[in-house]
Amino acid sequence: MPETIELNINGIAKQLDAAPNRTLHDALQYQMGLTGAKHMCDRGACGSCTVIMDGRPVLSCSILVCECEGKAIETIEGIAADPKWKPLVDAYCKWDAMQCGYCTPGFLTTAKALIDRSPNPSEQDCREALAGNICMCGTYPRHATAILEAARNMNSEGGGLNG
Amino acid sequence: MADIGANGDRENFKVVGGQGNPPGVVSYAMATGLAKYGVDYVLPNMLHAKFLHSPYANAKVAGINDAKARALSGVVDILTWEDEDIRDLVPRCFDFLSDRPWLDNIADRSGAEVAAIVVAEDEETCEEALRLLEIEWEMLPHVTDLREGNKLGAPVVRPGEDAKPTFWNYLSAEGQPPKRGNTYTVVDIRGDVCEAFGEAENLIEYDLRLPPFATRSPNPLASVAWWEKHPYTGEEPNLYIEGSVRWRDALSLTYKMPMEKIYMEGLFMGGKYCDWSLRRCQEVTPLLAKRYGRPVRCADRREHMYDFLMNERFIQMKVAFTKDGLITAIDDYSLCDKGGRGSAPFGHVGDLSQGPYKTTKCKSVRQKMEVVDSNRGVMWLSGQHCPFNWDTITTGIYIIAEQLGKDPIDIARLNLHGPTSPDDTNPVPSFDKCVEAGKKLMDWNWHPSGAKQLEDGRMHGACFRYQMTPRHSMKERHSKLEYRDGVVHMPSRGPIIGTYAVEANAMVVAEELGIPYEDVSIDFDAVAAHCIYGGGSDGTVGPAWAMKECVQILKELLKEAAIDYAENPGKPNSSFHNVGQHFPTPGPFRGCGPEELEVADGRVFLKSEPSKGILISEVTHKNIVATHSAWPPPGVWVTGNMGEILDLMNTEYCEVAVDAETGEVEILRFGIAADVGKILRRTSLESQIDQAVFFSQGCQQFEDMFYDPKTGVLLNTNMADYKVPGMLDVPIVEKSILETRAGNGVYGANGMSHCITNTNMLIIAIHNAAGVWVEPPATPDKVLKALGKA
Repeated sequence: MPETIELNINGIAKQLDAAPNRTLHDALQYQMGLTGAKHMCDRGACGSCTVIMDGRPVLSCSILVCECEGKAIETIEGIAADPKWKPLVDAYCKWDAMQCGYCTPGFLTTAKALIDRSPNPSEQDCREALAGNICMCGTYPRHATAILEAARNMNSEGGGLNG
Repeated sequence: MADIGANGDRENFKVVGGQGNPPGVVSYAMATGLAKYGVDYVLPNMLHAKFLHSPYANAKVAGINDAKARALSGVVDILTWEDEDIRDLVPRCFDFLSDRPWLDNIADRSGAEVAAIVVAEDEETCEEALRLLEIEWEMLPHVTDLREGNKLGAPVVRPGEDAKPTFWNYLSAEGQPPKRGNTYTVVDIRGDVCEAFGEAENLIEYDLRLPPFATRSPNPLASVAWWEKHPYTGEEPNLYIEGSVRWRDALSLTYKMPMEKIYMEGLFMGGKYCDWSLRRCQEVTPLLAKRYGRPVRCADRREHMYDFLMNERFIQMKVAFTKDGLITAIDDYSLCDKGGRGSAPFGHVGDLSQGPYKTTKCKSVRQKMEVVDSNRGVMWLSGQHCPFNWDTITTGIYIIAEQLGKDPIDIARLNLHGPTSPDDTNPVPSFDKCVEAGKKLMDWNWHPSGAKQLEDGRMHGACFRYQMTPRHSMKERHSKLEYRDGVVHMPSRGPIIGTYAVEANAMVVAEELGIPYEDVSIDFDAVAAHCIYGGGSDGTVGPAWAMKECVQILKELLKEAAIDYAENPGKPNSSFHNVGQHFPTPGPFRGCGPEELEVADGRVFLKSEPSKGILISEVTHKNIVATHSAWPPPGVWVTGNMGEILDLMNTEYCEVAVDAETGEVEILRFGIAADVGKILRRTSLESQIDQAVFFSQGCQQFEDMFYDPKTGVLLNTNMADYKVPGMLDVPIVEKSILETRAGNGVYGANGMSHCITNTNMLIIAIHNAAGVWVEPPATPDKVLKALGKA
C-alpha cells in the first residue's frame, strides 16, 4: 500500500496521504481544505458528500483515498469555479433550490453529472438522478425546476453542452 | 387582527410579495460549498474531542479505568464528570435544561453523552481511546414503551425526580397531583363535562397515536473553539467559536465572558426546525481549548442525532355531538412521552388548555395528560411537531362526517366559533375563503369511506384539515439601519437556517423606502443586534414588523438630514482630505421643516411640490443611524389563548390511492389553501409549506423508531434504516395562498410552517379509501395487516 497517491482534483495534480482507513471525504476536508462535499450520514445513504470521479458521481464518505490513485476528482469547488456551470449555480440560487444549504452542494454535483451525460434531461430524469440525495428541509420540488432551466440556458449559450 | 404599526395597511407593493423574488443573499455560498457549518472548520494545530456515548438505554457509570486509553499515542487527556471544570459548567441555553448536571455518570438514553470526554490529536485516536476505556457500567431499568412505563409497578427510571411539568406561565405546577411512578398527571377542565356527555345525542370514541419523529439536523452538530489575545490591546484572551451559531449570549453566561469578547463569525446553522438548543459538543470546546491552549473541535456523529422533533403520544378521545354534527363535549386523554432529562415541555403539557378545542363552539372539554419519564430521546425545544394536538380534532371531524354522511369541511365550519371570541357565532372569513380556494384547487368532491375506486383498481381516499395561522414569536426585536455613502445598510447577524428571513426583512426596508431590493445592503455582522430569533417563517414576520418601524425612524432622520445638508452643505475647501467621498447636490429644502417633507418612491421631496426633491441616495454625505427596539404587537397565541380569536386560517387537502393487493399508499394530490395574511417572499413561503408536508409525510409513511425491548437501545440510528422521504417519494404540493392582511405581523402577515405539519392526514385518507385505521407510519405491511391480508 503506497503512503501517498497521486490523483487529479479539480484539474490540478495532487498527492494525498493514503492511510488505509482514510476516506476521500476526510482527505478532501483535512488535507485539501475542501469542505463543499458535506458529511451527513457517513455511510453512503444521503448523497451530501457526492463528488465526481472519472465522470461518475460517487460518495466520498464511502470511497477510500487509496482507491483514488490516478483518478480525476471533481468537487463542488471545481464545478463552481468553471464558468461553464454558472447557469446551474445561478438556477439553483434563482429558484431557492436550497433552504439550510447543507445538502445543496451534493445535489448540485449530482445535477452536474446528470447534465454531463444527458444535456437535455426530462423532469423525470432529474428526479431519478437525484433520488439518492437526501434533503432534510424537503426542498425536492425545486431541484428539477432549477436543473431544467440550467440545461436550457446552457444549451442556448453558444452550443453549450452540445457544442 | 391586523398590523397596527406604520403602513400596516400599505397597498401597491413593489418589492414585497412579488412573483420573482430575488435570490437569497448567501445562496451562492450554500450552492457552491463555500458556506461553512460547524463540522467543516479545520484549524492548524487543532485537537479533537469525543464524548463517551452510552450503549445502554439507562445506565450508570460506576467507574472508569482509563490507563490503556491514556497510554495510546496521540491521546492528550481524558476528562470525567468529576473534573472540576466540567462540574462547574451550567447550560444556559434554555431554562428547562438547567435542572440537569452538564455531564454526569448517568445516561438515560442510548447514545447519550456520559461520564467521559477524550481529547486527542485526531478523531480516529479519540475513537480508539474510547474503545480502550474500561467502563464499569451499572445497568438501570428503562422505559421505551410508554404504556409499559405508565403501569403500576413499572420500574421507576428517574427516582427522586418529581419536578412537575410546566409550560412557562401558561401552565403552572400548582394543583397538579404528585408524581406516580414514572408518571405525572395534568388535568385541564372547562365547563361541565359530565353533564354535557350526559346530554349527548351522539357519541364517538377513537384512538390515535402521534408518531415520534427524529431530529433532522443535516449537519452533524459540532463546534470548534480557540482563544486568542486581542490583536491590538493584548488584553485577556477572547473566545472564538464556530458551530454554535447565534448562541453568543448563552456561551457568555456559561463561560462568564462578556459578549463583546466572544467572536462567532459563521452564519450557517444547518436545518434546525425549532430545535434551537445547543448540544454538549457545541458547549464544551471553549473549556477544552482554554485548558489545552489549542483549538479544539468536537462533533457529534449521525447515530447520536436521533432525538425528537416530536414526542410520541397515545390518545384516547371521546366526543359528543348533535345530530347536525355540532360537538358538545370532548374528553381527551393522552399518554405522552416526557422524553429524556432536560426535555422541553413542548409536545406534552405545552399543548394543554390551548389549541384546536378552543377554536370550536364546544365549551365542555376535559384534557387529561399522563406524562411518562422515558429513556427514548430528548425534545430539545419545540421541534416541528404539530402544535397543540390538532390531529385529534381533524380525526374527530372526519369520523363525525363519516357517521352523518357529510363533508368534513361542513362539519368543521359548523363547529368553528366566530373570529372574535368563543361566543361569536359569525363565520370566520379567513376559513371560508380558504375553503373556497381549496375546493377549487382540488376539485373537491367528498365521498364516504370506501366509496370510490380508481380506474386502475386502487381505492381513493381523501382528507381535509384546518388550522390557525398564528404568529407566536414574542421576543423583543432590535433593529438597526445605517445610511452610509448614500446606501441603506441593514446589519444582521442572521443566522442562516433556510428561511430567507433576512432577505424578507430587507424587502420590507426596500418597500418602505421605495428603493429596489438590491439597493439595500445586507451586512452580516456577528455582533449585530438584528437577529431572526424565532426561526421559521414565523421568525420572519416579527422581525420584519420591527424593521418596518425602524424604517420610519430612518425616514424622519433622512428628512432632518436633507434639510440640514441643504442649509449646511459642509463641503470642505480642499478635497484632499475627502478622497472618494461623494458630496451630493443639496436638495431644495432650505428653510423647510421635516413635516413639510415626504420620503417615498426612493426620494425625499416636498409634500407641496412632489417634483421638487432628491434621491434618497443623495440626501447627505453624512452617516445616519436609526435604531428601534420593541416587542411587536402580541399575536393571537397571547391575546386569544391560542384559539379563542381566529384571524388567519389555513386548510389542507390530501388525496391518496391505496393498493389493496400490495398495501402501497400513493399520495395523489396534496393541496394547501392558506391565508398567510400577506406574502413577503414568495418562494421561501412555498418552501416552508413544502417542508411541513415533507415532515408530515415522513412520519406517516416512512419514519419509525425501533427500540430493542430487552435493552431499550434505539436500533435504527442511521439514514439507511431510518428512512425519510426522498426525491421520488414527495408529492408536488399544490398551493393557493390568500392574503387577507388579517395577521398581526408585518403588513398583516403571519408565519406558516408549524401549523401545516400534521401526523394523521394520510392516515385519515387511507381510512377514507379502505375503511381501516392504520397506525403510522402506514407502511405496506401495516396496511395489508389492517386489511386482513397479512
